Amino acid sequence: MNLQRLLFERIDHRILVGTVSFLAIMVLVGWVAINEGARMTAFEQQYLARSIERGAALFASNCSPCHATDGRGNLGRAPALNSPYLFGHNFLAEVDAQIEALEIERGVAGTNGDTTRVGEIDTELLSLQAERDGLIAEMAPAIALGFNPDEYSRLSSLGWGSTLNDFVFSTLYSGRPVSESYWPQPMVAWAAETGGSLRTDQLQDITNFILNWGRGDDWTIEDLNAVRQFPIYPVQPTGGDTSGEPVIGADTELAVIMENLDPLTGDPQNGQTLYNSATYACFGCHGAGAGVAPPVEGTWTRVQEERLADPLFADYTGEAYLAESIIHPNAFAAPGNWSGIMPENFGDRMTYQQLADIIAYLQTQDQPIE
Amino acid sequence: MSVLPFPSFLDDVKEKGLKRAALEGVNEVTERITSGMNVQDIREALRGEAASRKPNPRLQPHADGFWLHMRPSYFHRSVTGIYPTFRLGWLSTYFVFFETITGILLMVWYTPSPEIAYGNMLAIMSEVPLGQFMRDLHRLGAEAMVIIVFLHMLRTFFTGSYKKPRQFTWFTGFILLFCTMFLSFSGYLLPWDQLALWAVTIGISMIEAAPPEIVGTNLNLLLRGGPDIGANGLLRWYLLHVLAVPALLFIFTGVHYYKVIIHGHSLPPKQENIGEDTAKRVPLDKRVYFIPDVLTSEIMWIAVTTLILVVLCVWFFHAPLEAHADNQATPLGTTAPWYFLWLQGGLKLGDKIFWGIIFPTLVMVFLAVMPYLDVTKSRRFAHRRFAFTVCFLLLSALVAMSYMGLAEFGVKTSADSEIIHAMLMEPAHNHMGVLRPIPYEQLTPGQFTTEQFAHEGADQAEAVAAFNTMLQESGDAELFRQYMEVNQHLPLPSINFIPVPADAPELAAGLQELGHEIAGVPNELPNATGTIIVTQVQEGLKRVDVVIVWDEVLIENGNPVLDAEGNPVMVLDEEGNPVRRINGQYMYIHENSQYFPAPGA
Repeated sequence: MNLQRLLFERIDHRILVGTVSFLAIMVLVGWVAINEGARMTAFEQQYLARSIERGAALFASNCSPCHATDGRGNLGRAPALNSPYLFGHNFLAEVDAQIEALEIERGVAGTNGDTTRVGEIDTELLSLQAERDGLIAEMAPAIALGFNPDEYSRLSSLGWGSTLNDFVFSTLYSGRPVSESYWPQPMVAWAAETGGSLRTDQLQDITNFILNWGRGDDWTIEDLNAVRQFPIYPVQPTGGDTSGEPVIGADTELAVIMENLDPLTGDPQNGQTLYNSATYACFGCHGAGAGVAPPVEGTWTRVQEERLADPLFADYTGEAYLAESIIHPNAFAAPGNWSGIMPENFGDRMTYQQLADIIAYLQTQDQPIE
Repeated sequence: MSVLPFPSFLDDVKEKGLKRAALEGVNEVTERITSGMNVQDIREALRGEAASRKPNPRLQPHADGFWLHMRPSYFHRSVTGIYPTFRLGWLSTYFVFFETITGILLMVWYTPSPEIAYGNMLAIMSEVPLGQFMRDLHRLGAEAMVIIVFLHMLRTFFTGSYKKPRQFTWFTGFILLFCTMFLSFSGYLLPWDQLALWAVTIGISMIEAAPPEIVGTNLNLLLRGGPDIGANGLLRWYLLHVLAVPALLFIFTGVHYYKVIIHGHSLPPKQENIGEDTAKRVPLDKRVYFIPDVLTSEIMWIAVTTLILVVLCVWFFHAPLEAHADNQATPLGTTAPWYFLWLQGGLKLGDKIFWGIIFPTLVMVFLAVMPYLDVTKSRRFAHRRFAFTVCFLLLSALVAMSYMGLAEFGVKTSADSEIIHAMLMEPAHNHMGVLRPIPYEQLTPGQFTTEQFAHEGADQAEAVAAFNTMLQESGDAELFRQYMEVNQHLPLPSINFIPVPADAPELAAGLQELGHEIAGVPNELPNATGTIIVTQVQEGLKRVDVVIVWDEVLIENGNPVLDAEGNPVMVLDEEGNPVRRINGQYMYIHENSQYFPAPGA
């Protein structure tokens, strides 16, 4: 049995097998090495794809309740992410560039006294301006929501000095506080390090998913008009303003407010509409489960049974307490709540009738306290 | 007169000419490096000729050199064949070095911290040239080493080589087996993926059962570094993996080999008289010299073994990397590594303390002291029927218990969850959901139902239409709407099922598979329908929902309760109607995700 001894009986066979194996190993390793560049690129691509998949699942369960499953945002609640504004697409870029070029040329032609050319350019400019106006007219639904066609990029509006990836990631990481003049709802910090529930690799997954909405130059005005909320103070798309009536004024003293409120009768129905409207967005913080401020449910009971029992409010009525809470929110913070979260500008935006309606609505919130 | 003020190579050149001086210089250097063999001696040895000068220069490296002083200069002819050693001991030694080298290379790019370990793995895979290859070799080598060391132990048992005077050699070998398995297992944790976290969590929770409670609790805390495995735990396992256990392994490899040399390689049992040990007395005519015969054989064996590993890693094997470790999400069907499946199987038999602690300890103690218990003199197969019987019984138990350790055995998950899992699961343990490898283009957005294939020969479009009608009439459509809402589904225009398009055969196959799975459990899922709903979420990203609707049945201990006729007992509502249940899960599929079916699946 030749195979029995040393596997190969003859030394030259063993040397041959060993040498061939060694050469084969070298050839294979070389072959792997040559293909490494392509393989690593493919791996990165595949990994990004799977990261987007995980991000999609995380987005569905964590982000979509506020930003909506399609990422177009929710009116009064959270801004759109699937939006040309976030990605900084300028729909007017092309026409503006043409106008600018023509204006320069017109200046040159004017200096040279070439009046025919100036006339031609003026005609062209008129038609370009018409084209520009046409584009802006197409954006009407977005503009009604407060979009400004000349402020086309979220990042430049903010003066953000880094990439969109960093902007989305750091917003996820640190959250966003309530801003008095800007946005009524906070976004919690999502990173585990900042008190949230997600790991940083998960935040990157979500960021990758959000960036995957990017379309480069293929954004359409329909995409813009599909946005339900821009990252600006919520605007009621169809009027909903004070319709010309004088507003209360944020600095008006409580006594004056109460004097002016006295002859008015509040409509709780309308008050509820205002409460839940995008204009004031009270529900954003006081709605069930928002967890930012005292819930609307049982407000009147708490005012009557707890707040007015406080000697501090000895000469207050329930209405006066509520009026002060809305117009001068930081005069007093109910125990367990932070002062300074609620915007102080409702007085500048609200008429006396609207205040009366909201107070009337809050008086219907007399559920017993658990 | 010397050219330089001291004797030098130049003098030689002057005296003998450049060529001859150079050759002589090379010859001298070679002889120094090999501690005794010059170029001519090596040439003769490799040609298989006898040594031409005396004393035999091939013995010189054993006497003067460091590396070969620990190798015997000759072996008995009977132990140099495939039988009786199968070269398993040599290969085990080789793997110690193989794993050390590949491991050190990987260490360069690895940091043992939960925040970055997984990112390191991704970097090794995507930014380090040959990084994935090194990782594959290290991982495959680890699995191969476990097998080879285990086979080496079995071989030693069968040839009776553990008997006097080699009892202690066996004992050190047992420690090496233990070290090998622990090294392989501790390496599991380092990538910090789901596989890592849960395999090790299972392992440690077994140790937690060690009585008395104070011991188990503290051992558990020591190994986890806290209530959960985190930064501390990872660092500890990393240090065990790269420092403590390898140190133990190297020391015992030294002791083990020293003992092997001291006692000599035991001859095949039938060549010796019973009770005799002639390994150290090798007659002149039976001697096979290390140089060149055994040396070339050994190098050939490791070259071939390495080639096999390389071929496997190039075409057939890639070290798995699952999703990032997540303490909150327990994957369905987590198992221990295959060489610990027997332990997991044992745990399914009953008491955690007995099967998780006492039983494995008994097995280990028995293995460790076996040579001191089995003191019979004969090494011949025919005289060791009892020992062989015990061995085969243990091996059978090992195989049976390992089978029982698989997730398929004895773990009851509700039938609907199990089917959905089989459809969608992320790649793990060389499996993945049936629907994952479907080409992206074939995932046509739409709503599809297993009813399409429910009745063989029936018109498929009609079956789907009938299902739509039934949905609206029975109110199941409302269930679907609710499911969509709860699961953050993009709003669908309507609940309207359509037949699978002809250009999506793999989607159709997946749907059929779902139908088969549901039909396979009629008692758990009566009147059930499976559906697959595909929606376009973003450009290049689709969502696939698998939703099952069925009539709820009474379940006890994970099994449906059957009535006298063998039919399942239905759960009825207050009006006596069956309760409809719905369960679904979803996955997202990106066009570049490249889920491929496992080789051979």
